[in-house]
Amino acid sequence: MQSKIWAITAYIFITLMTLITLFPFVYMAFVSFMTYEELISLKLIPSGFDLSNYKEVLGQASFVRYFLNTVYTATLSTLATLCTTILATFAFVKLNFPGKKILLMILVCLLMVPYEVLVFCNYLTIAQWGLMNTYTGLILPSTASVFYIFYLNSFLKMMSVTYYERARVVGASDLEFIVKILIPLSKPGICTVALLSFIDGWNSFLWPMLITNDSNMRLLSDGLSAFSMQTDRDFPLQMTATTITTIPIVIFYFIFRNQIISSVVNTGIKN
Amino acid sequence: MRKSLKAWFLLSPALIIIILFNLLPLARTVFLSFQSSSLNNSHFIGLENYITVLTDSRFHQAIYNTAIYALAVVPIGLIISLIIAAILYDFKKFQVVFEVIFFMPYIISTVAKGSIFRLLLNEDYGIINNILGWFNIMPINFLDDPEIALLTIIIFGIWSSLGFNIVILLSGLRNLNSQYYKMASVCGANKFQQFWLITLPQLLPIITFLLTVNCINSFRIYTEVYTIFNGKAGIGYSAITAVYYIYDKFYVVNRYGEGMAAAVILFMLILIFTIIQNLILRKLTRR
Amino acid sequence: MIKIENLHKVFDNKYEVLKGLNLSINEGELLCLLGASGCGKSTLLNILAGLMQPTSGDIKFEGCSVLNTPPKDRDIALVFQNYALYPHMTVLENVMFPLRVGKNRLSKEQAKKRAYEYIEVTKLEKFINKRPHKLSGGQQQSVAIAAALVQEPKILLLDEPLNNLDATLRLKIREEIRILVKSMNITTIFVTHDQEEALSLSDKIALVQDGHVVQLDSPQEIYLEPANLFVAKFMGNPSMNLFIMRKQGNRLISNDFKIDLKLLTPSKFKDELFEEDFFVGIRPEYFLIAPNAPVFTTNIIQKELVGKDCILHFKLNKKVAKIIVSTNSRVVEGNKISVGIDYNNIHIFTIDGRRVY
Repeated sequence: MQSKIWAITAYIFITLMTLITLFPFVYMAFVSFMTYEELISLKLIPSGFDLSNYKEVLGQASFVRYFLNTVYTATLSTLATLCTTILATFAFVKLNFPGKKILLMILVCLLMVPYEVLVFCNYLTIAQWGLMNTYTGLILPSTASVFYIFYLNSFLKMMSVTYYERARVVGASDLEFIVKILIPLSKPGICTVALLSFIDGWNSFLWPMLITNDSNMRLLSDGLSAFSMQTDRDFPLQMTATTITTIPIVIFYFIFRNQIISSVVNTGIKN
Repeated sequence: MRKSLKAWFLLSPALIIIILFNLLPLARTVFLSFQSSSLNNSHFIGLENYITVLTDSRFHQAIYNTAIYALAVVPIGLIISLIIAAILYDFKKFQVVFEVIFFMPYIISTVAKGSIFRLLLNEDYGIINNILGWFNIMPINFLDDPEIALLTIIIFGIWSSLGFNIVILLSGLRNLNSQYYKMASVCGANKFQQFWLITLPQLLPIITFLLTVNCINSFRIYTEVYTIFNGKAGIGYSAITAVYYIYDKFYVVNRYGEGMAAAVILFMLILIFTIIQNLILRKLTRR
Repeated sequence: MIKIENLHKVFDNKYEVLKGLNLSINEGELLCLLGASGCGKSTLLNILAGLMQPTSGDIKFEGCSVLNTPPKDRDIALVFQNYALYPHMTVLENVMFPLRVGKNRLSKEQAKKRAYEYIEVTKLEKFINKRPHKLSGGQQQSVAIAAALVQEPKILLLDEPLNNLDATLRLKIREEIRILVKSMNITTIFVTHDQEEALSLSDKIALVQDGHVVQLDSPQEIYLEPANLFVAKFMGNPSMNLFIMRKQGNRLISNDFKIDLKLLTPSKFKDELFEEDFFVGIRPEYFLIAPNAPVFTTNIIQKELVGKDCILHFKLNKKVAKIIVSTNSRVVEGNKISVGIDYNNIHIFTIDGRRVY
């Protein structure tokens, strides 16, 4: 009897929390089909699926452009991160060189510095180099990451040393080893880095906001933020814009949901 | 010799970026914090920026808000997550479905989540005030009342923090040693006792880890404030946080030196916190 | 063919593993590097393969120093203790791998053709499309050997290749390896810590101790004529019985028995017996049951049956000593036996290990 009460309470609680988690997104989608009048009359469900808000939003701000900018920068910075990270971890794990220990120590220290402390001086650097409002400026600082180097390091350390020795004895170059052995064998780790780096790039806000003032160079996050400020209290339009920016990443999430969750868990636990 | 040359060569792409965008900005932050604020004609002014910042009541407000935010969001978020994770762990069938649902907010950008909450929390036609109305509670002015601004950010912070915590806790629960439970069932312990006496102590390392991560993330909040209040830090800076303060000094009023002095202070606070946390963790694991 | 001269290797942590090691290996020879773990034999193999650089000394292949030759140009193949088969590749891909990388890589067809040849030799046809973890330990071992032979090396290096196999498989595979490399006439260096393995399959054994080769000889010589006390103690299972005896005139005496030096073959003395105390080594098989002319009599305290022979333990000079007798003799624990010595096959060492007889 007592356990039944527990179970029912638990079910109610989970249902409630699921509602609280999902409702904002469902409501966002509903409001995007509402008129202002429908919204202020506190209706939950729109009377019809009228796309006029979407037309208006896309007419007012170039969200398509923001979307393409975001895809472009997130993809490029992910690919660059993968390259720099794989090369660096290979050097750290498979090669011995003087200064390795000290270098690793310095990197561990850098790991402790919060991004927000660095971002403003990076902005000065990019501004001084004249890279404001350029893709290079948006991408460059996120083309290498201490965090991912350490993550892949811990991943590669589990790989047998003799794999590399065998490749050397039979005459494979380091590049051949990286392409034919290292990358296929560390696929899960590399996927994790790729997924997390892409999501990071997709959601980045502070950096594009500092680096871009040309509306053509905006990414989805700062584009949405700017749009919200322009439209102040026109919530149906804002929710439409929010829906437009959220749908792609939600689709992406549902395709890769298991990989994304295990990536977050793996990097989380490793720390 | 040739081998170490090769190693440095392979490291160079990553190292150059890390030096330019991690190491140098750190040095520059410290350097600028001792300089007068204008960029063109700056000179060494010693600790003046630090004194200005430390005596600035708005900075006190920012640190106070950040601390209160962390003290509220971290434990409450963790407890709710723990309850959800513990219940979900008993769900055999739909566990993964719920995990996917609860984790979803984590991957959506803060700006998007913030703009939805700006609507939900609206005084006149926000759903939340509407629901509170059913219980005869007067509408709360979440967005335009300086007294409530911090609470608004805290609610949003708790809601946002659940996904990550739940996923990590669930993975911790899945790795627990099931033998203890068989033993406990044999001894006749009920579900609640089992959770309290067996599950919780085993989860302790993961909970400490989540405490650290959540605390550090709390110290860094900025985007949440910016988006909920649509580009402001609440009415009259009532919801200002440490990072927002740095942003404001640096980017809005262009007082670089003071902004960087605040950044150094924030970094020091996080560093001290991390060290203390590590010492506690080491003590916990040694036992 | 291979000449190793005065090889030294000091690790980064200042530990000196090789202390001036010398060794030469003839073409087509199957040589075992035998020694306890940590003696430096694996380090030597890694240096031969080019995976490590020695601190000083030289290695010559056919008269030319190869120290500055990278591993791939040394005409060697190496089989690792854990085989180092790539888990994401099939057997065929693993065997083909050496041919498909590096500067002189073959085309896919050529590589496949050559790989098939060696897959046939090692009888792996059935498994070509399987991944290594689906194979048994012995099959994995064969893949590793095929992947080494496919490079058609002049020198084959094997690093404890039988370590991960169970006892019966070891016997089978060590025979197969010997037949294979002998038929192909490849110079082979085989690292092992197992003396039985070394004795049964090699042409020559190099016994390594503490960074030196202490003896390089055929298995038979190394067993019968150990160069010093260490070799004598190392080789043989059960190991040689050793007794400290004092020289008194023309006799070596101890508590429980004496040896008359006049009974020994004079030509076998390598030096005169100057010192006072000596180690006398007698292998268990050279104690004889001699009811008529016993050197001593004793009680059996334990009996180990091996098969056609059995090992009897008894106390001599307050130490446990062993004798091997035919199981047929039906001695049991507690029996009293009279023991003689085969004087032709005893060894005498100085206390610091030098062999004098």
